[in-house]
Amino acid sequence: MGLFDIISGRKKLARPAPDRLFALSTAYVTFETELSTTTRGVAGIVFQPLATADFEQIAADMVEVVQGTSADSGTTVETSDDDYGYRWMILRDADFDDLVVGVNAVSGALEAGGYGERILCAVFSFQDGRGRPLYWIYNYKRGSFYPFVPAGGAQQRDNEAELRLRAQVGSELPIEPELERWFPLWGIPI
Amino acid sequence: MPRPTSFGRDTGLQIRMTLTLFLLGLVYAVLIGVLFAAGLNGVTILIIAAALFLFQFFASDRLALASMGAKEVTPQEAPQLHAMIERLCVQANLPKPRVAIANTPMPNAFAIGRSPRTATVCATTGIMDLLEPAELEGVMAHELTHVQNRDVMVMTIASFFATVASFIVQFGFFFGGGFVGGNSDDDDGPSMMVVILVSVAVYVISFVLLQALSRYREFAADRGSAIITGRPSALASALMRISGTMNRVPQRDLRAAEGQAALYIFPPKARQSLANLFSTHPPLEQRLAALQRLETQLQGTTAR
Repeated sequence: MGLFDIISGRKKLARPAPDRLFALSTAYVTFETELSTTTRGVAGIVFQPLATADFEQIAADMVEVVQGTSADSGTTVETSDDDYGYRWMILRDADFDDLVVGVNAVSGALEAGGYGERILCAVFSFQDGRGRPLYWIYNYKRGSFYPFVPAGGAQQRDNEAELRLRAQVGSELPIEPELERWFPLWGIPI
Repeated sequence: MPRPTSFGRDTGLQIRMTLTLFLLGLVYAVLIGVLFAAGLNGVTILIIAAALFLFQFFASDRLALASMGAKEVTPQEAPQLHAMIERLCVQANLPKPRVAIANTPMPNAFAIGRSPRTATVCATTGIMDLLEPAELEGVMAHELTHVQNRDVMVMTIASFFATVASFIVQFGFFFGGGFVGGNSDDDDGPSMMVVILVSVAVYVISFVLLQALSRYREFAADRGSAIITGRPSALASALMRISGTMNRVPQRDLRAAEGQAALYIFPPKARQSLANLFSTHPPLEQRLAALQRLETQLQGTTAR
């Protein structure tokens, strides 16, 4: 925020930065070969559903767009609303590259409909060599990724594992530099 | 047709806020000029006031929290509130502030802190019980916008010279009598009496301007909240509930309302324009109207 924005109290939301999303496709090669981390074949994109007349239509169109782009890859799409009033568009596909393309198609459709700033983040679900779940979250506002490893118990996260993941993939992904912005997402439905 | 954003611009508010700041600066410039013209005494007063100001600037956070009986809470103690604020922070692109809860039935929420990094947002237990989650989200987004706009800092700095002026008004006669009284005839600057009179004028004018500035920043925070959550009506509903006027929207069936009561219309209240000048928050009606305009823009029912 610039000085003038502070003085005038102006508020703007950051537009989504989709271009860095595809870094995850490249990094996934490292995930698989070196870290024995594999996709669980599911990813989600989280956004605020708005109670406007055209929003439901755009949301419905998005499902078609994703299914259209993935006609031969067989991505399936479902939506669910979470406890915090956010909507998840959940994509399932065994092929990781198709998941990234699908998530990008959803954010592109929201952006084209004028609701790009409503996107919160994209979540990609993985499991490590021992089958424990871990997530990479893409913050659209910042254009950066961060790991999220829930630990057993209510709202506990495994900070050690997260920091280790950052060190392991460091240069492959644009990682969120400020640790206080590694926001957890509880109750991830994927 | 892709829309660049969901909301239009708020040029009117920007202009009014800038104009208010400009007028404040003008009034303050007069005060500074007079203080320097008064010579040594004026400068001394300025330095003392600056010291007091710095103390206030750095100590006010903890004082405010303590005076409200607010206590910082961990994510384990208030998981819902923390998770809500985290998502709002992602959406607003803010670092997460500290979260506090004040144990009082009075429904209220506030934000303190000079910068987003040192900020604390606080909700009372009363407001958390009173509001629906979506409404509470609107209120917390309003407070986060205060944090992002650095309203505490803006208001503190903007009121610095008003503080100086009130300081002179309170102690000016003492200074005037003690320092200048004897030798005022060979002093070619303005006498202490002039300084005091100017200070009174500056204090009164800047008080009105500061209240106006505060109201504009409330409007800006309401607007910011609507932009972050995308739900202006949720905040409007929260404001109505907090002010205890939820009964504006009748809960009773029209047919159940007996006879004349249904036909009764509240007499339009005379506009209290003078009272408006002296309040820090805009009247509820105006805030609701502004939120209503945002909702209309969002729904796209007016020309985009």
